[in-house]
Amino acid sequence: MSEFENTDKTGDSQSELIEDGCNKLVVKCKYCGSKILDKKLGKFIMQEKELPLMQQDTRKEGEIQNEKVDQFYHVENMFTFENIGFTHTVDCYKYLSCADCDAGPVGYYDMNTKHSYVALSRIEHA
Amino acid sequence: MAKTYDYLFKLLLIGDSGVGKTSILFRFSEDAFNISFISTIGIDFKIRTIDLDGKKVKLQIWDTAGQERFRTITTAYYRGSMGIMLVYDVTNEKSFENIKNWIRNIEENASADVEKMILGNKCDLDAKRQVSKEQGEKLAIEYQIKFVETSAKDSLNVEYAFYTLARDIKAKMEKKQEASNPPGNRSGVHTLNDTDRKRQPTSWLARCSVL
Repeated sequence: MSEFENTDKTGDSQSELIEDGCNKLVVKCKYCGSKILDKKLGKFIMQEKELPLMQQDTRKEGEIQNEKVDQFYHVENMFTFENIGFTHTVDCYKYLSCADCDAGPVGYYDMNTKHSYVALSRIEHA
Repeated sequence: MAKTYDYLFKLLLIGDSGVGKTSILFRFSEDAFNISFISTIGIDFKIRTIDLDGKKVKLQIWDTAGQERFRTITTAYYRGSMGIMLVYDVTNEKSFENIKNWIRNIEENASADVEKMILGNKCDLDAKRQVSKEQGEKLAIEYQIKFVETSAKDSLNVEYAFYTLARDIKAKMEKKQEASNPPGNRSGVHTLNDTDRKRQPTSWLARCSVL
């Protein structure tokens, strides 16, 4: 898994969201608006990662549908989060969910590094 | 990076299985769109940020669901916990009687000064009630623990309970800090008392603090 800090790759839409390499705006839950992360506390990184879909097709029982996600906010200390849920561990990862409506995964937590990653596509900026 | 909070409290939810601990932590409903993924794996803990008298307090709330079937929760689980919610189900008398056993388990395993609160959950199910509010209050008085009836389903008193427990922990911590660091400069750290503070010069230097 390649991980690198985004410097020059920031596109137009991202420049509205990213400032000094961090989230310019407050990170909120897409569904209920619960505050997940305060502004400037997540470092923007690009890395390709498979995340289970937030809306699973329940007809496909026992089969987890994933998608590739490549933009994340990197949060080193879990207590930096405003409100967040951590699932039980699955293969060295915990999935992050909204603390209020339990929507998720909005990202993941790496048990080895103890760092968290929030997917930009899974949250709302406000 | 600067610390983004003033206090961090680790809290545990404890009680018999089926009393609704998970619902207190995890508000899933039958029609939740994410039921198939997040709820299958289950929530281990949540982090919540609350404001207590102008202080930013982080709560790390752990569910003990799944471990209570061993009847006791081990010392390792209690380690570092500063507050415990003792949960019973008002429609299940046995879960209420077991609160005493849970208190004993806490006394044997947790830190002696851990703050506790008793929650009588599922108070929305009045028709099925087996434990009266008065019984709950009586038990709470007996053990000198705060008590409230909650309904995780209707979000009734759940937030109030967490604020109350957090406020009690904060008050206890501040009291402890004062005791170990009195104005008389016992620990080598000079603390200004009110008269000292008034005597401070008004120059900008006086406003310097140790960062």
